[in-house]
Amino acid sequence: MKLKRQKPKEKFSYDPQKVLKKLEDLAWKILEEAKSGKNPYFDVPTRGLNNVYFDEESRLIRLGDRLSRRYFLNVAHARKFMQTLILMAYIKRLVSEGKHASLREAYYANKHTVPGTRENTFEDQSESDPIIEDLERMLGVLREEMHITADRRGYIYGDIVIKDGEDEFNASKLGTGGWAVPGTVEHIQFPEINVDYVLVVETAAMADRLIEEKYPKRENCLIVATQGQASRGVRRLIHRLHYEEGLPIIVFTDGDPYGWYIYSTIKRGSINLAYLSEKLATPDAKFVGMTMDDIKEYNLENVTEKLKGIPPDKKGGPTGDYKRLIEELNYPWFQDKEWQRQLKLALKWGVRIEQQALANKSLEFVAKEYLPEKIREGKLLP
Amino acid sequence: MAEAKDLFKEFKVQSVSEFFRRNAAMLGYTGKIRSLTTIIHEAVTNSLDACEEAGILPTIRVEIEELGKEHYKVIVEDNGPGIPEEYIPHVFGKMLAGTKAHRNIQSRGQQGIGISGAVMFAQITTGKPTRVITSTGGEIVEAWVKIDVQKNEGKIVKKVKHPNPKGWRGTRIEMEVKDVKYVRSRQGVYWYLKLTAIANPHAYIELVEPDGKLVVFPRSSEEIPKPPVEMKPHPKGVMVDDVYTMAHRSKRSSVKRFLVSEFSRISEKKIEELIKYVAAIRLLKSEQNEEIKEKLREKLINGDVDSVLRSFGRKWKKEVEKVAKIMEKPPEKLTWQEAEEIVEAFKLMKFLAPPTHGLRPIGEENIKRGLTGILKPEFVTAVTRSPKVYAGGIPFQVEVGLAYGGQISGSEILRYANRVPLLFDAGSCVITSAVRSIDWKRYKIDSFDSAPLVVLVNVISVHVPYTSTGKQSIADIEEIYNEIRLALMDAARKLALYLGGKYRRMYQIKRRKTLEKYLPEIARSLHILTGEPEEKIREYFLKLIESKIEVEEVESVEVEEAEA
Repeated sequence: MKLKRQKPKEKFSYDPQKVLKKLEDLAWKILEEAKSGKNPYFDVPTRGLNNVYFDEESRLIRLGDRLSRRYFLNVAHARKFMQTLILMAYIKRLVSEGKHASLREAYYANKHTVPGTRENTFEDQSESDPIIEDLERMLGVLREEMHITADRRGYIYGDIVIKDGEDEFNASKLGTGGWAVPGTVEHIQFPEINVDYVLVVETAAMADRLIEEKYPKRENCLIVATQGQASRGVRRLIHRLHYEEGLPIIVFTDGDPYGWYIYSTIKRGSINLAYLSEKLATPDAKFVGMTMDDIKEYNLENVTEKLKGIPPDKKGGPTGDYKRLIEELNYPWFQDKEWQRQLKLALKWGVRIEQQALANKSLEFVAKEYLPEKIREGKLLP
Repeated sequence: MAEAKDLFKEFKVQSVSEFFRRNAAMLGYTGKIRSLTTIIHEAVTNSLDACEEAGILPTIRVEIEELGKEHYKVIVEDNGPGIPEEYIPHVFGKMLAGTKAHRNIQSRGQQGIGISGAVMFAQITTGKPTRVITSTGGEIVEAWVKIDVQKNEGKIVKKVKHPNPKGWRGTRIEMEVKDVKYVRSRQGVYWYLKLTAIANPHAYIELVEPDGKLVVFPRSSEEIPKPPVEMKPHPKGVMVDDVYTMAHRSKRSSVKRFLVSEFSRISEKKIEELIKYVAAIRLLKSEQNEEIKEKLREKLINGDVDSVLRSFGRKWKKEVEKVAKIMEKPPEKLTWQEAEEIVEAFKLMKFLAPPTHGLRPIGEENIKRGLTGILKPEFVTAVTRSPKVYAGGIPFQVEVGLAYGGQISGSEILRYANRVPLLFDAGSCVITSAVRSIDWKRYKIDSFDSAPLVVLVNVISVHVPYTSTGKQSIADIEEIYNEIRLALMDAARKLALYLGGKYRRMYQIKRRKTLEKYLPEIARSLHILTGEPEEKIREYFLKLIESKIEVEEVESVEVEEAEA
């Protein structure tokens, strides 16, 4: 199987004006309600697992339609009501001035004493972060689109040209360290794309290995190192590379419940950010490894590691990796036959296999044999 | 013989003071603090009663001067009707007069010997006479009174008359006492007067303490209570001694006439019934077979007196005739045993409940005034229950008052019997146990002991069942206990309603404050978002708050609302 760039399904859609309009519309709704003597409110989609479901049709983890109504005249809500408006005003300024702020900056910028009281507008960042999440859900707008950046993590390497504001550069000409993905990728544009697919790699060590082995050049792909669980920026970037640029997405993680969950997050979205699945997830992504089958296939039995925690059939179990495996077995988005088999094998054998265990063969093995073979032969999991 | 006569005299002298000493507890003269309180009690009670009877709003001034260690001068002055000169020895000197003992009247005193006991106490401890200054409006009489223990009556040892150009009227008594102590405790004079002031809101009472400090308990009601009326005793409420004594004093022609006219609820027909009962009781006593006796007794209790009599065959008619003769003889000929039989019969017979017009409660309004005037609470409520009877026929009435918050700092139970504060033996009193039995949590009082709550309970009766001769605690009688509880629960419901409203109002105020404090932030943010002027936005929201959250004016409405 030869991976090729496909026709894009989405267009670059970032438009600060849209965000501003949404903010102002909501503010006007509130103001009009107050004017006409009604109790102004925000409708906030409820957070948490019980307002999350797996949408079989779109194959995404999505947010349910449960709302909680936040009224001004309710003393229990009033403070959050005020905080929401403060942050809305702040975001309006950020977006219209073309500035970005981190969550922490947003917190500090808006923290002050409420006049005439000894109360602060925000006592702690744990008060402002959820309000920003609420706004994302209320407005259906990414935090990044509101110019609030998340923690950055992850980098890319490969022959694509990136336009980031006034800078334009090729991501394969920045040295072996690649280009660090910023917190916000909304404004990033891709004037030139010379790769056939994207290989998402869990560990930086493995990404570095592949870059050193010139894998991206040879296989004509873009490496995305997530460095653990993919950050929002990376997930959004993957989403955009697939939908806006038509690049197939292949994910390469450790063969353990944690690695597989990284894949699932990229593919299906996450429970916490279920409301963003449409913008962050990439249901078309495929999984190359590591799998339990790889252990047999490549004779890696002696480099597996034992799963951590207590197995379900032992007293006090399941805990640790076992518990995670059982959870995954039960998630609706892990019900695929292939995946159920992998999970059950892991449970049965009680082992995990790391990406870097492939170095047991040789350093080049992963770049020259394992990945090319598996991808060429289409040995991918859905 | 002369020697014997002297001895006898000596014996008599001893016996009166001996009587006083022996009955000190009953008379209230035990303990240094309590003795002083009792003196004040007797004097103030006299003043209040006199004013009440004369229809005067009482103004009473109490002064206590410290003359030495446990040596005080006590002065009580009132604006009452004054005492006519010829009555002075009687009022202040007659020991054991028993003026109240056989009057079936709800009175404050009921302590037996009244102010003369105080005079006696002063005389015993310091040997000094009591100085009385009084006027009924004419000339002022100043008299020094002692008790002649031999004659058991008052003796004026010195008397001076003064002109009364300003028309002063009232009574002032001064006495020197030893072996007493002034302490500002829960058993002391201060506390006694405070409680008296609460239960007598129509009185103005002031106290000058030994250190010169003036304490004023202001008048909070202009309404003079009606004096209690004497009630004929109810057959269920009398003891053998009462019947015997009354009979011997009676001037009626026969026992029958005496019973019909000097007791309430006894008619001619009842006398016939009484005769049958007494006869039945006599016959029953002669019965040897315990089993039959018990059966018949039960029948008698059930009121089937006729069948009890008939069961004795022919004997009963004779017995009835015998008893009927008792009814025809003069009352002073009534024997103790006969009186005993009559009282026993009374216990078995059924009578109409006694009239209650003789009971004089403080009244809900006056309790509220008293509590408000003296304690300055933020909320008061009071409940006066309708009269009930206990022990089958003794009328009594319960009233309670609750005062909450304001200047009240802790919880307190104020006990009264016929308006007289009970300061001692709280632990054994039915009032204490009834108050404690209430589940105060149900009435929004989380912890009774730490709540700013004063509970007043007044038990009114012509015959308050005290636990002991000290008359400081009321016996645990089920009917009284239940009435106190019902009254308390009724009042507590009103308190709970008030507290509910208070919390609601406090919540509304808090709510409004909370919302208003966020307005500047909200207005500023909405101004940035919409471009509308901040001032206008603030106005919209302020109007919104005002229209949606109503907060009544606080202080002024509360008491009224609670009364509704």
